[in-house]
Amino acid sequence: MKARILLIWTLACKDWKLFLADRQGALLCFLVPILLASAFGTIFHRPAQSELPRLPVLLVVEDDSPFTGRVADALQANPHLVVERCTRASALARHAQNDNGVVLVLPAGFKRGFATDTETANRPEVEIHCQPGREYEGRWAEGVLTEVFLKQSAQEWLPPLAGASPLSLERPFAVRHQCLAGECSLAAHAYSLSFCGMTLQYLLFWGMDSGLLWLRERRRGLWRRVHVAPVSLSSLIAGKVLSTAVVALALIGVTFGFGAVVFGVRVNGSLLAFGGVALAAALLSATTGLLVASLGGTEGRARSLSILAILALSLLGGLWLPSFLMPTWVQRLALALPTTWASRGLNAVTWRGQGWTQVGPAILMVLAFALAFLLVALWRFSAQDHQRCCKGDCG
Amino acid sequence: MMSAPVLTLDCLSIHYGSTAAVRDLSLQVLAGEVYGLLGPNGSGKSSTLSAIAGLVRPTEGSIRLQGISPGQDPFAYRALLGYVPQELSLFEELTSCDNLRFFGQLYGLSGRALALRVAEVLEFIQLTELAQRTVRTLSGGMQRRLNLGCALLHRPPLLLLDEPTVGLDITARDGLFENLRDLRAQGCALIFTTHHLEEAEQLCDRIGLMQQGRLTAEGTLDELDEALASREATPSRVRRPRLERLYLEWTARSLAQR
Repeated sequence: MKARILLIWTLACKDWKLFLADRQGALLCFLVPILLASAFGTIFHRPAQSELPRLPVLLVVEDDSPFTGRVADALQANPHLVVERCTRASALARHAQNDNGVVLVLPAGFKRGFATDTETANRPEVEIHCQPGREYEGRWAEGVLTEVFLKQSAQEWLPPLAGASPLSLERPFAVRHQCLAGECSLAAHAYSLSFCGMTLQYLLFWGMDSGLLWLRERRRGLWRRVHVAPVSLSSLIAGKVLSTAVVALALIGVTFGFGAVVFGVRVNGSLLAFGGVALAAALLSATTGLLVASLGGTEGRARSLSILAILALSLLGGLWLPSFLMPTWVQRLALALPTTWASRGLNAVTWRGQGWTQVGPAILMVLAFALAFLLVALWRFSAQDHQRCCKGDCG
Repeated sequence: MMSAPVLTLDCLSIHYGSTAAVRDLSLQVLAGEVYGLLGPNGSGKSSTLSAIAGLVRPTEGSIRLQGISPGQDPFAYRALLGYVPQELSLFEELTSCDNLRFFGQLYGLSGRALALRVAEVLEFIQLTELAQRTVRTLSGGMQRRLNLGCALLHRPPLLLLDEPTVGLDITARDGLFENLRDLRAQGCALIFTTHHLEEAEQLCDRIGLMQQGRLTAEGTLDELDEALASREATPSRVRRPRLERLYLEWTARSLAQR
């Protein structure tokens, strides 16, 4: 047993020596995920002290009643909107060129809605035009319009009923907006997301690199020579998993360390759970490498297929953008991807501030994927060994 | 003086699907003997070497290395074997010393024993001064010597050399041969494949000629000459080196018999 452990250690040390032999390459290996995460974080970062976002609205008023005029004025004064009044033609033309915001049209006879005739068929129809994929902006504008309309209606109708007493139409409660980020500052949230996503994505690329090294060594006849020595396939695989996983763990440590020092990325949840997720992700990286080496065939083919697979896994698994922005069917499909679970785990222990109980299922899922990759690789390597021994090419 | 056989192949056959690469091959290699396996391309030399190295499973027959067969105890079998592949199977990014240490560790060497053995091998292949140089900065001849050194760390009783002189100039080749003669003197058995007949003539104690998967002739140069002369007299008009003449005549005779 001791001899076997020493052998696995020897094989892993060889990989580490090869990794460090190219010092610039090793340095870049640690720099690239930091640069990627920093860039993504900077792009999506919103300073904590800035105001809540306001919705741009191009307001078209086609009703000339004083009531509608007051509604329009109230909309313009609303703190949640940035309203600009214009004609229908101009509003629609500008809307077609914009990326966000809505066009809100108060039609002729808008005041009828305030009158007693509330039959559905006779209600005036307010038009709200929004950008494709930003329907929530339309709902936002609809909500503000409803609030403003009801306030104006109340001011028209209630004073006579209320008599001389002053009428307050402000809502009788205050609202405090609190983000999920817990103790983590809001400013660090975009960086937390980007450091989780980009680190995981780079771990997959590191795994791919390790798999390609395996293929390169096989092509150069080194595995043939190693096969002649008293070394079992399982020791070779264990050595490769150890070497890849240790570098992957170092990558996670260095990347998150940089994120913590420079951008305030924090592990708000259990530090031990963070270690658990990191270990599971590192093993996933290592077994991804084995999968690449066992399925890929030639080095060139393996590289192309792996890049395609990693980019797809990253996008669908929510490593680039939060998965809630994707269609429901993609979110469901993503549950079958290891990146989704790794991302959930890492997000949970960092900015969500969760512990073992909440992160446990994600860790188990990532480990299950890693085990599945390992078993497929073992099966493929054994089959290739058998085939080669029977065909006479044991490279 | 007869030494004990280190390697015994008994009725070895290797089939790749329906193609027979080696047929009914039997031979013995003795301790301290250099055995040259010669033959044209596709004659079965590499398949035989691969089977002895445990890389190819024989279809029939047996292989015994100091009494152990590869199927019986693969790890003990492989520990008795040194393999020098035709291609330079070295980690180019690592130093000579690192390469030797790695291959030594694969064979269970560690600590002081490993350090001593690495130093011995470096001296043997005359690379002590260049131990800390990365492999890619060494000359072709040095790399070939290191390729040999990586197979010697565990002192194998049998060394397989698959065309070890490919790409070497005469000086580098002579240096390598000097190493191989020293190994023979230390009692190591060597099996050597080559296309260069003058190399086999210089180095080999016995020669096996392979043709279409069969061992068509075997013996010392004198024995091969004698056997050929006793069977048929076909004097060559062209003056050739002795082994080259024998090789061509045995090959021609073997083809004529088919």
